[in-house]
Amino acid sequence: MKQLLRFLLMTLVFTTSVAVVSNADTGSENRIDLIGKVVDKYYLDFKPLTTIELPRLIYDNGNVHVYRSTTSLLNKSELFTDAAYVDAYPVTVDGRIKPASYQIVRLDGTSPQFDFSITNHLVFFWLAALLTFLIFIPLSKKYRKGTGRITEPQGPFQNIFETLVIFIRDEIALQNIGSQKYQMFTPYLLTVFFFILFMNFFGLMPWGVSATADITVTAALALFTFSATQIFASKDHWRHVFWFPGVPVPIKFILLPVELIGLFTKPFALCIRLFANMASGKILILSILGTIFIFADLFGSGVAYGTSWFWVFLTLFIYLIKALVGFIQAYVFTILSALFIGMATADHSDEHGH
Amino acid sequence: MNPVFTQGLLDVDFGLFFWILITFLLFLFLLTKFAWRPILNALGEREKAIKDSLEAAQKAKEEALHISRENEKAMKEVESMSQRLRKEAIEEAEALRADRTEKARAEAEKLLDQARSTIEQEKKKALIELREEVGKMAIEAASRILDEEIDEERNRKIVDRYIKELT
Repeated sequence: MKQLLRFLLMTLVFTTSVAVVSNADTGSENRIDLIGKVVDKYYLDFKPLTTIELPRLIYDNGNVHVYRSTTSLLNKSELFTDAAYVDAYPVTVDGRIKPASYQIVRLDGTSPQFDFSITNHLVFFWLAALLTFLIFIPLSKKYRKGTGRITEPQGPFQNIFETLVIFIRDEIALQNIGSQKYQMFTPYLLTVFFFILFMNFFGLMPWGVSATADITVTAALALFTFSATQIFASKDHWRHVFWFPGVPVPIKFILLPVELIGLFTKPFALCIRLFANMASGKILILSILGTIFIFADLFGSGVAYGTSWFWVFLTLFIYLIKALVGFIQAYVFTILSALFIGMATADHSDEHGH
Repeated sequence: MNPVFTQGLLDVDFGLFFWILITFLLFLFLLTKFAWRPILNALGEREKAIKDSLEAAQKAKEEALHISRENEKAMKEVESMSQRLRKEAIEEAEALRADRTEKARAEAEKLLDQARSTIEQEKKKALIELREEVGKMAIEAASRILDEEIDEERNRKIVDRYIKELT
């Protein structure tokens, strides 16, 4: 119990540290690896029912190694999971070596060149994409047949998603990009919005994971917005970056690095905002539930039982907030993407002189 | 105690990054081609149809308003014209009546004058006749006096009475 307390306090303090040290030797059933609940894994976590290992794909020395699962990789290859770990605690079930850290290394302990294995978050990203497909392909067929094109939209299904699509087109794309170019970026904004929305909502489901609580995923998404702003940027945009019009020459030199940094802070903020919002929700819920055990440790189990209802209600409240935040962050990411694209593609000459 | 550095929150997994980049682009392409474009085009078409029909309705309304205004104007014109015509007719009738009354009066005057002159003439004739008659009667009375030989006093009275009777 002391260890649990120490662990929880530590994780609360170090939630933003790059790596978290955890004690691997206890094997205590009470221990909850808080950060481990949020980070990416090489298996689908259906604990306590089961875990499903995902295929491992590793590029090394000019070869692509493909394995059905981490276990099958361990049992017949020249690559291993983290060597120190395996040596210290060989986990063998039915004569097969079981993965413990899932970190694949070569036999000599160095890392392979490129590990592009399928991960938990990738599966949920694909699920979100698949859900988007399953919703919008039938919907587009409906439109093709004429419902909604010639007549009014029919049924709650079509009405709900049409409202969202029109909202994104009119309130996000049109408002921020302008009537000349918004049609080009609307499909991208729609895709981003629904992917993020579904990824966020998957995190609310039992055993579900928000893929957006992974900085890799949000960084990839932010990279798309960044690419869109750079590829489709107008001449005006570059002029504003390198030679800011309408200010004295010394100021231009001061503004140049500011503008250059600004190019990168925008997508960086996009990436961090979405990641932090989605990751903090889960950490917060686990931390609040952990408070019950801290109380049990500090004041005895009687107090813990007595106050547990409060923490459970607080958790439910945070859960509702998470649902709200899931929607809001999808919206915020989309509208900011639209805003940045709009800023980069706008021709200032016909609007207002700076 | 062997501390194991588990995966950190801010670790970037380049394998995952690679997959996300590829699959996102693929999904973006497929969704754009098979879902977003058809839906957005359909929505655009529908909005255009609605806008067109609203505009057509507005146009029709304006036309109807224009026509009804024209009708009203025409009606007013017709009414004013009819009023004018009636007024003119009344005036004409009035004038005609006045004319006729005048004529009738003149006629009556003329007839009256004629009648008056006729009466005058008749009177003159009657006076002439009366004078002749008186003369005749005087002669007769004189002759009667002569015939009956009555005293002078009585004679005179008779003559006087006679004359008084005559006048």
